[in-house]
Amino acid sequence: MALSRGRIYILPTGLGVAFGLMLFAMLLGSLNYANNMGLGLTFLLAALGLVAMQACHRNLETLIARGAGTEPPFAGKDAIFRIALANPGGAPRCELETSAGVSPELPVTVAAGGESTVSLRLPTRRRGTIVLDSIEIATRFPYGLFRAWAVLHPAIHCLVYPQPAAEAPPPPLAAGVAGGGTARRGDDDFAGLKNYHPGDPPRRIAWKAFARSDEILVKEFSGDAEATPVFDLADAPGADLEARLSVLARWIVDAHARGVTFGLRLPGIELTPEPGDAQRRRCLAALARYQAPDPDVV
Amino acid sequence: MSSEHKENFRRLAWTMGGLLAALGPHLLHLKPWVTGFVLAVCAWRLLAERREWRMPGTPLRALIALGVTAAVILGYSTITGLDGGTALLALMSALKLLETRTARDHTVLIFIGWFLCLAAFLYAQDIATAAWVLPTVWLLAAALLEVSRHGQDGSSLRPFRTTGAMLLKAAPIALILFLFFPRLAGSFWGAPSAERALSGLTDEMSPGDISDLTLNDIVAFRVRFSGDPPPPALRYWRGPVLSEFDGYSWSRGDAQSIYRPPVDHVGAPVDYTVTLEPTGQQMLFALDMVERWTPGLARQSWDFGLRTRYPVHTVLRYDARSYPRYRAGSEISKALQNLSLQLPRGRNPRAAEFARNLRASSGSDSTYIQAVLDLFRKQDFYYTLTPPGLERDSVDDFLFNTRQGFCGHYASAFTMLMRAAGIPARVVAGYQGGDWNPIGGYLIVRQSHAHAWSEVWLADSGWRRVDPTAAIAPERIERGFESAFQGGELLPGGLMRDSNFWWQAVMIWDNVNERWNDWVIQFDRASQEELLLTLGFDDPDWRAFGLVLGAGLALGIALLFFWLAWEFRPRRGDPAVRSYRRFVSRLERRGIESPVGEAPRDFALRIRRLRPDLGVTALAITETYLRLRYLPAPSAGDLRLLRGLVARFDP
Repeated sequence: MALSRGRIYILPTGLGVAFGLMLFAMLLGSLNYANNMGLGLTFLLAALGLVAMQACHRNLETLIARGAGTEPPFAGKDAIFRIALANPGGAPRCELETSAGVSPELPVTVAAGGESTVSLRLPTRRRGTIVLDSIEIATRFPYGLFRAWAVLHPAIHCLVYPQPAAEAPPPPLAAGVAGGGTARRGDDDFAGLKNYHPGDPPRRIAWKAFARSDEILVKEFSGDAEATPVFDLADAPGADLEARLSVLARWIVDAHARGVTFGLRLPGIELTPEPGDAQRRRCLAALARYQAPDPDVV
Repeated sequence: MSSEHKENFRRLAWTMGGLLAALGPHLLHLKPWVTGFVLAVCAWRLLAERREWRMPGTPLRALIALGVTAAVILGYSTITGLDGGTALLALMSALKLLETRTARDHTVLIFIGWFLCLAAFLYAQDIATAAWVLPTVWLLAAALLEVSRHGQDGSSLRPFRTTGAMLLKAAPIALILFLFFPRLAGSFWGAPSAERALSGLTDEMSPGDISDLTLNDIVAFRVRFSGDPPPPALRYWRGPVLSEFDGYSWSRGDAQSIYRPPVDHVGAPVDYTVTLEPTGQQMLFALDMVERWTPGLARQSWDFGLRTRYPVHTVLRYDARSYPRYRAGSEISKALQNLSLQLPRGRNPRAAEFARNLRASSGSDSTYIQAVLDLFRKQDFYYTLTPPGLERDSVDDFLFNTRQGFCGHYASAFTMLMRAAGIPARVVAGYQGGDWNPIGGYLIVRQSHAHAWSEVWLADSGWRRVDPTAAIAPERIERGFESAFQGGELLPGGLMRDSNFWWQAVMIWDNVNERWNDWVIQFDRASQEELLLTLGFDDPDWRAFGLVLGAGLALGIALLFFWLAWEFRPRRGDPAVRSYRRFVSRLERRGIESPVGEAPRDFALRIRRLRPDLGVTALAITETYLRLRYLPAPSAGDLRLLRGLVARFDP
């Protein structure tokens, strides 16, 4: 989205007004004493102010802003919107302040022909979607005598995951195991290492690995009962849908943290078990979208 | 030091540098304790910043502020005059340094710096001051850039360079404002008052004053003649006329009740324009005998000297017409006669007695005058630049003891001898001669041309100039005073007159100064009207000013606009990006916009949904573009393909 001439507004700052008053005083003094060098000085500074106004406006003009990804948060945390500012012009754009709502970020400078990314943080209240509808790109460069700004309406959507329940019962053991196999506790085949959780049997701690790093890891063996659980909304306890989604989120987060393969089942949605970050993201996104309330527009 | 701390230190250094530069021109006239205080505070502040000392609290600062104000009132006896005001500004800026934390504090200091620059011009508008102030303004603006930024990374800002480029763009607009901003005919409030000690002639002359001045090569004024300049022997520039003698020194005296005697001008006049450097005095200099001058500027007093209403503190230009041949005051009033015969009782008794005896043995006033001049010429009197000091009865001491003197000594002694013999006489101080600048075609009169001569009143010829120096050192009058000392004493700049090359360089530099005075400092309402006349306005009035100023400003701003547009123009970047942009802009013309946050591939899919007919081409263009952008080695074939596809793409 390019910042065109018509979108950019400019007004003098308080400092700019003070500068104008100072120039007026200098003008009066120089005129009174018929001091041509004083007048020259006054006019040079006045012209500098004019140039600064033009430069301030130019500093925004033709700048291109575009979304560069989001980081979905859990409800209650900040959503992060990344905005890329591209400078197609041949002069650097200095001191660009990007803000959404009330929180201006530290100004950035975009080199000629370059691009910089700023991250805007927006607080979230509830699960669903948050839409960044209005960002302001402003600059006081140079000298801070003028402030030019432009308001963009990019409408960037960002999912908000349900907040994982603080206390959730463990997932039911029989929670539909994928692949039709029966959950069977066993120590048959070494399957990998996972982070230690209180309650894990000490004999399974991988002491060799502990000696190499500070992390306490636990050996895992395939055939563990909860190896490939599929979490089902129907199994999650809770007063209402949101509470139950929170419980599901807790299970997913914990399962991911343990490095377990897991799946998710919501009415009308079935995600087959897989391990890894992508699965976690998919499952949490499904939770965020499931019967989502209207998006919060900021 | 933490990075934030370093930042603060940097900003402080910038501001302080600008402020000290702005104080530079004022070091000449600020009292040493003011300069000392400011420098001490600056040094303390830098140390405090580095060592992280605590700033003084508000009560202490208030106490210092009070003390400083009191000191200025005591030291300068006022805080409203230029000297006192500047001192107060300098001291307050130092105080402000003690509480500089926020960007706002810094900007206050920078504004004070600019005011100090303006004050420097109120003191002097010469090239040297301008050459100092311009970089200072630059430095202060760069400091403002530095303190007004918020970002952490200021490395790409390059404050000095950025500001320099902006000043360059500002210069044409400033020039237009300078040329066409209407000047005032008068002033809003009182006349300027710079109480600066200037070297030059004053309304008082003690033995040795003029020889001291002669060591000074500074320009007193410059003269441009509309015809041929008068010969050197007639270049007597009348300054203060000194009629009161206290036995040691001469002063102008106060004579309210004396009327100016009538003057008969004879022969051809000389017309000229004088550009006078600031004197701090009220007299103007003109060739004898002046007949008319720039109206309203000055009046001619009873002693034929031109006096202005206020002391001259800026460069002043005036026209004048003089008649080298004249007859002034065929009759003398009683009051003027009394004043012109006044001698302090009981002083210089030997000279008085000598005068009475010599007059008695001379047949007439004229022969007496000649006898006194012969005395200087024939007896062992010496013309010297470094005369010994004289005692309280200066004429006695000079005539009968030291016998070494400069023009002031001879004029003083001669005038005293005339008065003692009953001939009305007075000392005239002024300049004699001048250096002709062949490059600019004008006469430079320097302080070193300062001179003193006598004027006597004789019943048959009125007030007549008698220059006793011409008797003892005639070449001083004919060829300039250097020639009077050939082979003898070493003169200031004496060497430079020997070297042709150096002399020429001096003349060129003086010509630059003369042009500066003429075009810059003296550019006034009249010059503006002249400029408008050449621009084709028959009768320049305020409307013409407004029109030219408005048009000029519009032109300047348009120029600025295109200049900046050129600077910010898109660089010829990646050709693939340019092709892809063309593709996007063609779609935008058809109402299909690429919103922020949409990846190119998503955009292409959306195009296919909206316009199935364009879908395949759009996908092809997008895939080719992405290959060119993101593959490690983009192929030239892809670029040709992309260009071809975009060229044929016509939604």
